[in-house]
Amino acid sequence: MASNKRADSEYTVVVGCGRLGANIANSLSDAGASVLVIDIDKNSARLLSNSFAGGIMTRDATELSALEEAQLRDADSVIVVTNNDNINIMVAQMAKELYGVERVIARLYDPERETVYSEFGIQTISPILLSMQEVNKMLGFSKSEGAE
Amino acid sequence: MKTRVVLVGGFSKAKTLARSLIDRGYHVSVINNDRSHCEELAEIEKLLVYFGDGTKPSVLEDANTFGADIAIALTDSDADNLVVCELCKKRFSVKKTAAVITDPKKTDFFYRMGIDSVICVVTSVAGIIQQQAFMDDISMLMPVGDGQIMISQVPIPVGAPAVDKTLMELNLPRHVIIGCIMRGEKGMIPRGDTRILAGDVLVLISAKQHEGAAVHMLTGR
Repeated sequence: MASNKRADSEYTVVVGCGRLGANIANSLSDAGASVLVIDIDKNSARLLSNSFAGGIMTRDATELSALEEAQLRDADSVIVVTNNDNINIMVAQMAKELYGVERVIARLYDPERETVYSEFGIQTISPILLSMQEVNKMLGFSKSEGAE
Repeated sequence: MKTRVVLVGGFSKAKTLARSLIDRGYHVSVINNDRSHCEELAEIEKLLVYFGDGTKPSVLEDANTFGADIAIALTDSDADNLVVCELCKKRFSVKKTAAVITDPKKTDFFYRMGIDSVICVVTSVAGIIQQQAFMDDISMLMPVGDGQIMISQVPIPVGAPAVDKTLMELNLPRHVIIGCIMRGEKGMIPRGDTRILAGDVLVLISAKQHEGAAVHMLTGR
């Protein structure tokens, strides 16, 4: 079912408008999806492209009132990519537990925490683990456990 | 075996708490990610100090958190405290977790995530200030059982209705007892024939709705 979902019927909230957040928001917006970006710093919006057609909210997303205002209840996906792992974990869990958002993805820098939280029901991505897998692939190892 | 307590973050809070827990015979370790704070904490006798970020599983593991009885997260960040408690509970089988939080609106959410005890500093401090400011010298010590029972401290001034009466003569409401009388430096557990003197401070245990009436009967206010 996920494969034939159409971007233009989706409402996605992106928390954290850094390089990753802004790029995700730009590409979703270009694909015609409805996007809302939340960031505590109003200057971060400069990373969004000129064609970005979504909403921008300057709020602290760890506050429940901000998530309320963002109408998280209606969101199909929430992508949490601030530069703080623990804030990402907390916001992701609030989205899932309090607003019942179906798809919640959080970026975690620390691979240790990533392994734990991927077991706790949040979808997590770790730049380090992803890069490791890619490097291993390039080196011709099929498995990603070659950390040591 | 001694009760094992792990404190994460919160330098001054951790320092005070560690001292009092060690005095009570607990086995206490602290995790702090500031080296100078760690050095100062290490001066406390019998306290085990670990340097590192307590929101990282490996640091918790090094600090021998597995199977501890109580973990208390005291950092300034609500998110960090949530992660500490979740890791302790789910990954390290800590029996009881407690978190201090700044944002009162997140209290329910923290409970929902399985944290056993959530202490909101702002709410607690505001409560104490209100008590101190509006109740004059009647200071509430603590609410017990979801605030249904109050333990309060009631000073008896000269000329108060309760002066020179025995507890029996006072005829307090059924849901109120005088648990303790502080007289000068001494505390005593009163009996029915104990007489109340001016200058006594009574420790009152009462059902919330009867507290006001009891205080009025005792002090005339």
